[in-house]
Amino acid sequence: MHDVVTFQRVSKRFGATLALDEVSLSVPEGQIAVLLGLSGSGKSTLLRHVDGLQRASAGSVSVLGTDLATASGARLRALRRRVGFVFQQFHLVGALTVLENVCTGALGTLRGPRLGLFTYPKRVRQEALGHLDRVGLAEQAFQRADTLSGGQQQRVAIARALLQRPEILLADEPVASLDPESAGQVMGLLREISAEQNLTVLCSLHQVDLALSWGDRVVGLRSGRVVLDRQAAGLGRDEAMAVYSAVARVPAAA
Amino acid sequence: MSRAVAERRTLPAPSGPGMAATVVVLAILGAGVWAASDLGINVATLVDSVGNAADFARRMFPLDFPSAGELLRLCGTTLAIVVSATLLSVLLSVPAAVLAAGNTTPNAAARVGSRAAIVLARAVPDVVLAIVFIRVFGLGSMAGVLAMGLHSVGMVGKLYADAVEQIDEGPRTAVRAGGAGRSQELASGVLPQVLPAFVSTALHRFDINLRVSVLLGFVGVDGLGFAIASAFRELDYRRGMALAFVVLVLCVLAELLSGAIRRALTRAPLSRARPAPGRISPPWTPSRVRRNVYGLVAALVVLASLWGAELSPAGFVDGLSRLGTTLGLFWPPETGGILPDLLTALWVTVKIALAATLLGAVLALPIGVLAARNVAPSPRVGAVFRGLIVLIRGIPELVLAVVFVVLTGLGEVAGTLALAVGAVGLLGKLVADSLEEVDERVENAVRATGATRWQVFASATVPQAAPAFVGHVLYQLDVNIRSATLLGIVGAGGIGFYLQNASRVLEFGVVTTVLLLVFALAMAVELIAVWLRRVAG
Ligand SMILES: Nc1ncnc2c1ncn2[C@@H]1O[C@H](COP(=O)(O)OP(=O)(O)OP(=O)(O)O)[C@@H](O)[C@H]1O
Ligand SMILES: [Mg+2]
Repeated sequence: MHDVVTFQRVSKRFGATLALDEVSLSVPEGQIAVLLGLSGSGKSTLLRHVDGLQRASAGSVSVLGTDLATASGARLRALRRRVGFVFQQFHLVGALTVLENVCTGALGTLRGPRLGLFTYPKRVRQEALGHLDRVGLAEQAFQRADTLSGGQQQRVAIARALLQRPEILLADEPVASLDPESAGQVMGLLREISAEQNLTVLCSLHQVDLALSWGDRVVGLRSGRVVLDRQAAGLGRDEAMAVYSAVARVPAAA
Repeated sequence: MSRAVAERRTLPAPSGPGMAATVVVLAILGAGVWAASDLGINVATLVDSVGNAADFARRMFPLDFPSAGELLRLCGTTLAIVVSATLLSVLLSVPAAVLAAGNTTPNAAARVGSRAAIVLARAVPDVVLAIVFIRVFGLGSMAGVLAMGLHSVGMVGKLYADAVEQIDEGPRTAVRAGGAGRSQELASGVLPQVLPAFVSTALHRFDINLRVSVLLGFVGVDGLGFAIASAFRELDYRRGMALAFVVLVLCVLAELLSGAIRRALTRAPLSRARPAPGRISPPWTPSRVRRNVYGLVAALVVLASLWGAELSPAGFVDGLSRLGTTLGLFWPPETGGILPDLLTALWVTVKIALAATLLGAVLALPIGVLAARNVAPSPRVGAVFRGLIVLIRGIPELVLAVVFVVLTGLGEVAGTLALAVGAVGLLGKLVADSLEEVDERVENAVRATGATRWQVFASATVPQAAPAFVGHVLYQLDVNIRSATLLGIVGAGGIGFYLQNASRVLEFGVVTTVLLLVFALAMAVELIAVWLRRVAG
């Protein structure tokens, strides 16, 4: 199976902070890779590099055959169309309906600006409704997005990303605001879709147990460095928890 | 230890910022007292004008309204011009704001250029623009629409840019992450967030433009203002005051309407209706029907206005070809041999503004205090004084000035009194608002010690609101100086008289000189205000 995401010695600097420190990582097609790490360890930053929302200070990032150091304009947009992103804070437009929020996922394939549900083609609306149904929110389709609970908004964000029919899905703590049961449901959903469509998933989590039960692979970050990179199967809970300890006890992954 | 405590001072050493703020306010009020006495505004004049009231009433009543048809035509023309002008300012302000906002601008040069254009639009008074455009496009609506529309960009563009800069970047990033282009990002990620602020600002500007349209009538823009100006020129006070009354009613109605729309906008419409399975457009809930009806009405009003303002594209293009030559008339600035007169008039303008700020503060403080919900002796009293403030805010300054010109005769006394009364509308509101915004818990803590109503007011409410007062008085002075420069146009004293006169006798070089003087004055006040705000913190 070929790699769809390749990081080669990628570093990212924000002033004095080194958010990513020589990260090298390859993710093969269809894999569910889970990122673990303390707050501020660089998980969000890593995900943002995959979608070209941030650019590496050093090293190279290649996604679906596109070199992100040089991609810009139409080429970057074409890549982003193939990569879905579910953000930590959902990032929905509160004043718009739930369905219209999902429809914005199709903007990359449409021409020109859109505002108002009726400006989206019927097939887009139908497909969007299908995804909403899949995440269990078809009934809320015409409510304003800001009237939903955090967990519901998270699922809308997932539906929006799915409407892109992405080849890679980036999910930044997609279950952070959910109760344990809904968290399990959402992770199950991601797994199901990944299996159906051979979708590659990069997902950051704070729950070691979820990572071990739903991920194919676990990548641990500490202060921007990869300190653990193993298949989930056979990885012990304590070994994974060590990512969170203050001093590095786990030897850096090969 | 106990000795040391006994010897400590029980009054604090005077502190820097607090002292400076006090000195500033005292200086402004002192200057106001001096200006008022210098302009001859004292108890005797006031008594005199009360005496004049009977005379005034005789000259004014019975009000002489034009025929219903004529009245409708005048109101229609004024509203058409004001709606078109506001629409123009919105159409220009949206791209200006996108270029000017730090988060949406394509590059630094576009940002600086757009900001500069917005500042310039605000700096050139609409009356001056109207004088220029009337030369270019002739008497009628076009000049008014362009003048108000361009000048409004100074405020609308600025507020739009601020709104864009305050958005939550998240939704926009999410839209970008989906591969959307720039225009899609703006339409789906930015616009929905700023739309309520955009509409509310436009409505606010509509209110302001409605007032301004009266003034523009005095330099030849069609509508109610023009009819008022003609009536006064013929000393027909009954007709003039009748029309001024119509303007007042229109302004109050507009204020009520736009207030209601703005409140409706801030309430999030909830649609809890369950959609039928598989339906892909929203159900027709009452709130959706209502929104669509509002939208339709708004569109019809705009269309009717564009038609009513009789804006002819051919006339516009024709005028543009003359724009160069016309602007040439205004350059270079000339003094027409009356520079000393101009400077004296400018000085009078400053005095009017100072005196009006003092008188306005004296009137506004008690009214504002009585209007504040948490201070008013009873809810009834609070409501009455709030109502009074709203009513005064509804009266265009120019209408006030016209009333005082009739009451006290031509000249600076009329201008000062008009601005002073007008200040109650703004300053009274600001005072009441800042009193209502104080932290209630502090008030309650003082109340809990058994303090009386006055003690609570003095030791909890006033100290919290006081810093805001300083800012409000400065702001009022700034507003008064801008308004004072225009009062002369209706004969209420100051430099405005020369602006009007020079344009009438076609000495456009002098118009430019007056404009430069007014501009320099406004800039000086702005700089002083910025400096004071820094010093007085
Ligand atoms: N735009 C930015 N500007 C400056 N510093 C940043 C920026 N984004 C991230 N950082 C810094 O980079 C480091 C990594 O941040 P990142 O958001 O990637 O961490 P995280 O692992 O996602 O944390 P969390 O679990 O809290 O979401 C932090 O020290 C953060 O302060
Ligand atoms: Mg994060």
